[in-house]
Amino acid sequence: MFKRNNVTARIFHRQICTPAPGTSISSARRFYENIVPCHTIYDVDCPDHSFRKFTEDGLYLISFSRNHQEVIVYRPTWLSFSCKGECSDTHTLPPKAKKFESFFTQLYSVTLASSGELICKDFFLYMESNQFGLFATSTTSIQGAPAVGDAVQGVPSVEKITFHLLRLEDGVVLDEKVFCNDYVNLAHSMGVFMYDDLLAVVSLRYQRIHILQIRDSGNLVDVRTIGDFCHEDDELFLHSSVQSMVDTEKSKLHQGPVNHASNGLHHSQPATETRFLSGLKQRLLSFIFQGIWNEESDPSLRMQCLKKKFYFHFQDYVDLIIWKVQFLDRHHLLIKFGSVDGGVSRNADSHPAFFAVYNMETTDIVAFYQNSSEELCTLFERFCDHFHVSGKSSLYMRYISTHSNNIHALEQMKSNKTKASSGSQVGAMQNAMSNQWYCFVSFDGLMVIQWICCPLLQFVKKMLSSLPFSCQSQSPSPYFDQSLFRYDEKLISATDRHRQFTDHPIKFILRRQPNILKFKIKPGPEAGNTDNRTKKFCLFLFHPFLPLALSIQQTVYLQPAVVNIHFRR
Amino acid sequence: MNPSSNSGGGTAGPSSGGGGLRLGGGPGAGGSGGVSGSSVGGGSRSWASTTSVSTSGKRIQREMAELNMDPPPHCSAGPKGDNLYHWVATLLGPHGTPYDGGIFFLDITFPSNYPFKPPKVVFKTRMYHCNVDSAGNVSLDILKDNWSPALTISKVLIALVSIFTTPDAYKPLVPGIAQLYLTDRDKHNELAAEWTARFAR
Repeated sequence: MFKRNNVTARIFHRQICTPAPGTSISSARRFYENIVPCHTIYDVDCPDHSFRKFTEDGLYLISFSRNHQEVIVYRPTWLSFSCKGECSDTHTLPPKAKKFESFFTQLYSVTLASSGELICKDFFLYMESNQFGLFATSTTSIQGAPAVGDAVQGVPSVEKITFHLLRLEDGVVLDEKVFCNDYVNLAHSMGVFMYDDLLAVVSLRYQRIHILQIRDSGNLVDVRTIGDFCHEDDELFLHSSVQSMVDTEKSKLHQGPVNHASNGLHHSQPATETRFLSGLKQRLLSFIFQGIWNEESDPSLRMQCLKKKFYFHFQDYVDLIIWKVQFLDRHHLLIKFGSVDGGVSRNADSHPAFFAVYNMETTDIVAFYQNSSEELCTLFERFCDHFHVSGKSSLYMRYISTHSNNIHALEQMKSNKTKASSGSQVGAMQNAMSNQWYCFVSFDGLMVIQWICCPLLQFVKKMLSSLPFSCQSQSPSPYFDQSLFRYDEKLISATDRHRQFTDHPIKFILRRQPNILKFKIKPGPEAGNTDNRTKKFCLFLFHPFLPLALSIQQTVYLQPAVVNIHFRR
Repeated sequence: MNPSSNSGGGTAGPSSGGGGLRLGGGPGAGGSGGVSGSSVGGGSRSWASTTSVSTSGKRIQREMAELNMDPPPHCSAGPKGDNLYHWVATLLGPHGTPYDGGIFFLDITFPSNYPFKPPKVVFKTRMYHCNVDSAGNVSLDILKDNWSPALTISKVLIALVSIFTTPDAYKPLVPGIAQLYLTDRDKHNELAAEWTARFAR
């Protein structure tokens, strides 16, 4: 489209040519090839906060105080400064301008955590349409807490988890939602998914999916809870009809002639002894059952099939717990099920897991897959963007490069796949011998041998391990657009994660001709680190549309972070 | 005790006592004391790869084979995992009843002295039925006083399916539902269908 890389030539070209229909935004985005954050202020003098992220509309920079009690919100502004005389030197900034405050204005600071609570610094969700922010505070978790009542054994407990809805404009706390003696996975916002104005909160401990709605008025409203029951009024219905049963019984008792021998014999027994299947489990089990039942028409063969595929694994299915949930649209949830061990542990990939698509309006399970399912993997390969959703309102998700909207990401994925299915046989063999965790038995009873014979399976599992997606975990910055720039995804990517520090600058290379290096991002002090012993981590925060980025280098200890500002001057 | 080909070692159940009595003979119907001691044994041990299968286990295995050969309609069952004494059964609500479309799961536990004692049956799916209480316990006369060792798991399943079509309102576990069933059948069926749609799909 653009014949030249010169920005002036491009602007002229833009004046005289209209881009092909529907490509105006992507052609406008190509100007980012010319405007890059190539200038760095090293180790900028800045407040000692942990910086979390830019909101997707670029209006706010969210940070937390070191003691994890306060939220401090900044407004990103473009560098402006005034100076006398020495400004004539265009190559260096005056020292006064090299400050954090030249780029960010503090709007306010709000204390969210009360005594005994800490703000979870890994958790923040943004509702763009109303400029609301969702934060979480919690008390410390108790490992090995006894499972009281309906709680699942083996899931830790937190005395109090509070979600705070904040109006980011002025920092007013609009509403709170408290979960007591519960466990919600707050790391990387894993346990909560926001879709438009809907929130899905997964209570790992009680195995419930709480669907909340954020009203325009700023209230968090309970819509329904999925788990023990499916419809929002199931519990009410059950209690009211049980009540009527008991009532008629009582009235009957007063009337006199009752068969006393059989009356109320088991009736006062608490239902805890033999628990019914939870509403969601009932749906899941009957979906699996029906699938096998309908597969085979001959009664005897069908029975064999059910025995092997269903009854044999029945208890395993019953023991599955909800790990993670995402919305696919306003009605459908993608739910990942797994064993208790995998729900809490970090490396969950080695555990067998299942995916279910659940329609919460009709309360039907729509589909069910194991995490080795090639069918689901194919769907994910082709229609990745359908999994990558955050609602109708946010357009920015469209520009996040995935293997279904970006040819380069697709090529990368395909090459990984060919590598997996051809070359890695020897490697897999070696791995299997050295790593013990390879030796698990999957639900199918297929031993690990299959991993060696079929490395593709390993690829499928790896692909599917990213499902369900974590909400708002991708940066919409154009510098991560793989049709514009090429960069080492091991060192940096749109995914919002801490990364292992490397002393080398990270290169961003033009994807198109002339494929030259456009800019580098170098975290840490300018001269490099003198101390190479302590382990260091990096976090990169890119502004969603300005050529502005922060790189934050941290150590495991509580030393102050080294913050660099990358911008275009 | 002749030193025969009994390689499995002195296992618990099948002592090589009386000998003679071959399988498939008459253990089922009669149910008198003689069955327990010597029904299995002999030198052949054609299917005795499992070392310590007691009489109840063998009986359950045979019933499982029968069930697989000729499963009754609207239901199926099988052992949970590799535990022969703990089964799961699935009943499908028959057409023309308010339970139509429902899929009901049940736990069936066999006692160690099966078939002399009946299996214990508990519904794992909620249902609106005068013979099933709010904890899932089911009252079925053949599972209590009228149990006979001649009955099999297939017969139990058939009996369980039959409570969908013909509830026994005169021996109810939940008198309230039974009363409604007898006085206002339409209302009863409406409620039962609603319960099925909510809890048993």
